[in-house]
Amino acid sequence: MSERRSAANYQTWIIIGLALLIVACLCVGVVVWAGDALFGALPLPGRDEVKLPRSATADLTVAVSPGMAPTLNKLVETFNARGLKTPDNTPMVVRTLTLVPEEMVAQSLGQPAFQALAPDSSLWLSQIDRQWAAAQGAAEGDESVIPIGYRRFSNPVRYAVSPVVIAAWESVARELGWPERAVGWQDIQNKATADPNFKWNHPSTGHASGLLATLAEFYAGAGLTRGLTPEAATAQATLDYVRAVEATVRFYGEGEDAIVSRLAGEGRGFLDAFVTQEQLVIHWNQTQSGERLIALYPAEGTLWADHPLALLELGAPGETPLSDNQRRTYRALADYLTSPEAQQALLAAGYRPADMTLQLDAGNSPFLQNDAVDWRQPQTTLQIPDDSVVAVVQNVWWYTKRPTNVFLVVDTSGSMQGNKIDLTKLALHAFIDQIRGDRDQLGLIAFSTGVSVLRSMQPLDEAGREDMHNAVNRMSAEGNTALIDGVWEAYRLLQAQGDTEAINAIVVMTDGQENNSAHRMSELKEQWGAAQGPSVVIFTIAFGSNADEDVLRTMAEIGGGQYRRADETDIEELYKIISTYF
Amino acid sequence: MERTRWIFIGILALVVAIIGVSIGIGWLTKNNNASAGGLELERPQAITVRVLTALPVEPWVRSAAEQFNASNPMLEGVPIQVEILAMDGLTALGRWDRNEFGALEAGVDVANLTSAQEAALDDFPTVWIPDSRYLVELANASYKERLGRDVFLTDGQYRARPIAISLFTWGIYESRAKVLEAKYGEVSWRTIHDAAIAKGGWPELGGDGGWGYFKLVVPNPNKNAGGLAAMVAAAGEYYGRTDIGVADFTDPAFQTWLKELMGSVTDFSSASAYTAEDFALFGYSVGDGGQLLESDLLQNMQGILNRWDDPLKLYYPRYVTWFEFPFTIWVGPETSALEKNAALEFQKFLLAEEQQKAALVYGLRPANPNVPVDAIPESLFVKWSDRGVEPVVPRSDAMRNPDRDVLLALLRWFELNVAN
Repeated sequence: MSERRSAANYQTWIIIGLALLIVACLCVGVVVWAGDALFGALPLPGRDEVKLPRSATADLTVAVSPGMAPTLNKLVETFNARGLKTPDNTPMVVRTLTLVPEEMVAQSLGQPAFQALAPDSSLWLSQIDRQWAAAQGAAEGDESVIPIGYRRFSNPVRYAVSPVVIAAWESVARELGWPERAVGWQDIQNKATADPNFKWNHPSTGHASGLLATLAEFYAGAGLTRGLTPEAATAQATLDYVRAVEATVRFYGEGEDAIVSRLAGEGRGFLDAFVTQEQLVIHWNQTQSGERLIALYPAEGTLWADHPLALLELGAPGETPLSDNQRRTYRALADYLTSPEAQQALLAAGYRPADMTLQLDAGNSPFLQNDAVDWRQPQTTLQIPDDSVVAVVQNVWWYTKRPTNVFLVVDTSGSMQGNKIDLTKLALHAFIDQIRGDRDQLGLIAFSTGVSVLRSMQPLDEAGREDMHNAVNRMSAEGNTALIDGVWEAYRLLQAQGDTEAINAIVVMTDGQENNSAHRMSELKEQWGAAQGPSVVIFTIAFGSNADEDVLRTMAEIGGGQYRRADETDIEELYKIISTYF
Repeated sequence: MERTRWIFIGILALVVAIIGVSIGIGWLTKNNNASAGGLELERPQAITVRVLTALPVEPWVRSAAEQFNASNPMLEGVPIQVEILAMDGLTALGRWDRNEFGALEAGVDVANLTSAQEAALDDFPTVWIPDSRYLVELANASYKERLGRDVFLTDGQYRARPIAISLFTWGIYESRAKVLEAKYGEVSWRTIHDAAIAKGGWPELGGDGGWGYFKLVVPNPNKNAGGLAAMVAAAGEYYGRTDIGVADFTDPAFQTWLKELMGSVTDFSSASAYTAEDFALFGYSVGDGGQLLESDLLQNMQGILNRWDDPLKLYYPRYVTWFEFPFTIWVGPETSALEKNAALEFQKFLLAEEQQKAALVYGLRPANPNVPVDAIPESLFVKWSDRGVEPVVPRSDAMRNPDRDVLLALLRWFELNVAN
């Protein structure tokens, strides 16, 4: 009996246990279900995040001006290393793309390869704004509409500034009157026209510093300190003055970064003075030994490189619109660049940070106890004319700048067959289009087993330009590589022309080894040293990994120019860059 | 066994009862939500109040929003979150005018929106805090034409209410201000105009040759509502009255005078919407002085001292323009009743004494008359009392707000004569 009872009890408890288990499970299920019905409105942690679409990219490409690129790249690296994520768990990744500001403007109005931009000055944003608004306003065609808010960009943030200065070696600065008196644009211009040994440089008008230097020449030429009009800028007396001053410029180039790399390579004798940002003077003195650079704040006034960061409002027909995640990445980057950590880094790099709580004359500031720069300067700025006048100045510059005679010397040997010759043609077309001065001349020489002068030096008027394009199109590749003979012929023709007023240059490119020239490198060097005619600069391009680098480097040294490397991805861009030197 | 069976049946009954009650609750909840109608068909998980905020008050409003959000505010059991979007008042007006925020066309029923249309309204602003009431009037006029009704109200519980005020004052670097005072005795649009056209620049006025010519700072009217206010105030002083019409702006003599004045601005291209910040960042190199919002000048005073070693001096003009920063709730169907009422909660928070006192730290004058400008020691009115800031504005005439025609005439004149 007791065994039966015990078994019955045991069975009862099992049933009760099972029933309780079922009830518990049901209750949990029901509570969850009813709870959702009752309290579904309440936010649960992570609820919103789960609902967001996961596909939207958070990658952001920022176009950066060359001068700021080294500093900004480091900051972006630190930003990326933080591993920030958007609410839908997409990593925020920022990439940079170094572009000349003028190029940023052009690309921003089309379909750019970037979503944000960091030019060296708001001047460029203003140009984007105006051109975009004009296009949009014209499309609207309704005069009653309030014409505000048509913006191609949004959320501009200024993270650092630096005034444009004339950087001069200390001995040169003292000669010009520093520190006893303020030195101005006029002093530099007078010195350059009076002293043929004085070497100075400013970047092209595609950069803020180059634009300012040119503008200062126009003001001086027009006898004005403000209110420059298109009429005053194009008056013959103004153009004559600007032309005379521009004739003293040693060469044009990509920007401050290129000048600095050449200063570092070629030393003190390369230039006496150049136009750049104050930051570069600080950076040079921090990193280089020898004679100091001094920042001269132009007495007539200067301009600020104010380094804005702005987001492009993409979404026009045919464009991929910005994703919300990209906007989040932009905001996070802007926050980081204006954070105390980044602002301190910018100050350490020689910029004046946008955070006004940071004093320039205290702590570890590079401005402290440093008379090469002066945080109380500049006292005044030049008036920036409105965009239409700036455009006139930019265009007029092509007619007043120092004329250029350039020989393009191109390898058409058998190794160039196929894709290489096609890409070279595209690069040459781009180069031809970039040379826009009305007094500039171009010639074309091809070398393979022998040397062919495809076009002797000719002006680039409409017919000349078209003829040059046609000559490029007809080029074909075969034979050996008479590289030295090609350069020899170009040099001989430039000497024969004897144009001492112009910049005379040879741009030579090869993808292979010298193997068929009648002349030797030593003869070329001898010829260069013995020349009585105009000086000739050589830019050499090694296309691909098999190019004769030693020969090309030696040629660039002999010709006081530059040696550059290129591959199939950037040959066109390199030709464009070299064109800015003329 | 019998007892066991009873226990088992009891438990089953309990389970059935629990399920039945739960289903009942769920059904009732669903029906209640459905009966609410419109955009509240489904009870929201949270209410987001999106506030389009003018730049001068944005730092204060953003800070207030953070505190408001941190207090876990609820409305009818639903949590509220305030989201701030900074935008210059004129830029926002342009976007309202072109309906870029995507307000529904007249006659569109919110109940019949597709999911894509509903999603498009996700970012629609609940509240607009422009710089001035006249911007609200202009936006209303635009929507009245489009929809046949006002979208921002001037009375009732959703009426526009100022949350803080500020006025335009002269801010001039002290070294330059001394020279101007010695030369002219006072600072006004007339004397600034005379300084601006001095052909010999500062040396002619008695100042340092290194300062160049006199440089005026005026916000770009295309980017900042303050630029328009400055031109209206200059016209007020030129004509000696507060009511300026289109005919006044088209008078050739006035246009010549105004063009000469604007000719002393060094750079409109880089003048961003944050003109006072630029003024501080670039110092006297870009501007010797200008008429800017008092709160902006006070906020940047410390930065100016940090960077330029030459403080600003403030002067109050005879003809003043006030910005009252109206908290304006959108009353159209694009936002729900819950969102509108949540916006009112945030408005209440901003107008409470604590936040009105906090506004003093940003150099803003409280809208609440019970809070004096020196109510707290951190008030910028206390901190910069020796820089010419006045707790009570000296006797002056307030400029009347420009109407739409004046606004358009001014902007076109600026485009043709200064910006181009």
